[in-house]
Amino acid sequence: MEHLTDVLSAISHPTRRAIIKRLANGPARFLDIAEPFDVALNAITKHLKLLERAGLIEREKRGREVFISLRPEGLRLVADWVHEYERFWNEKLDEFEGYFKQKQRSKK
Amino acid sequence: MMSNTKTIEVTVERTIPTSPGEAFDAWLNPKVPGTPWNMAEKLLLNPTVDGFFFWAIKGTPHYGRFTAVDRPGRIQHTWMSPNTSGLESTVTVTFRGKGKDTLMTLVHAGLPDTDGGRSHEKGWNFFLDGFQSQLAKSGAV
Repeated sequence: MEHLTDVLSAISHPTRRAIIKRLANGPARFLDIAEPFDVALNAITKHLKLLERAGLIEREKRGREVFISLRPEGLRLVADWVHEYERFWNEKLDEFEGYFKQKQRSKK
Repeated sequence: MMSNTKTIEVTVERTIPTSPGEAFDAWLNPKVPGTPWNMAEKLLLNPTVDGFFFWAIKGTPHYGRFTAVDRPGRIQHTWMSPNTSGLESTVTVTFRGKGKDTLMTLVHAGLPDTDGGRSHEKGWNFFLDGFQSQLAKSGAV
């Protein structure tokens, strides 16, 4: 149950879901993961730490570089849990938040 | 009539980069993306206490009655659709100032805990869209 809570918390943020989506295409280096996001590298580090704590990613040293890859097994826990309305409202509120973020960007 | 159906509650939270008043007004504006009323094929919306709403999307009707409209802090209404299996569920949305932003919390309570509601496929799609096949390859699904 504790693990499920960690996983749910890890996937509750749109940035972390986007990172999971990116890593589903294969392992990536830290800067490659951070590149599409308009946030401080520090914030990405925190997101990755949360994903790591939930057991959803792992780091692997290859020569001088560290690659981060997805460990999707933990996501399976959620499959039995997520309610249809959880999905519905998450999508709606992502859109709603995105609308205001876009508005904020166009003001700058 | 009392129902023996087991119910659950869904809570979703977001930080919205605007004031609670603006977020509140936007949530009741059908033109704003992400509101339940946006993209409705047919919409009737009267956001006052005891006012009703009806909206339909892809032929699925949704009905409800507003029970609280307290600008800028709280909106509450009932919610019935084929997905609530005849139960009158309740949606409560609160807007609280968080610095320059607004902490928006949506609680959908009284939802029937049915197999349909906990659809595996839909649950997966919520966060796995686009990479389910990769997961299958890795043996996780």
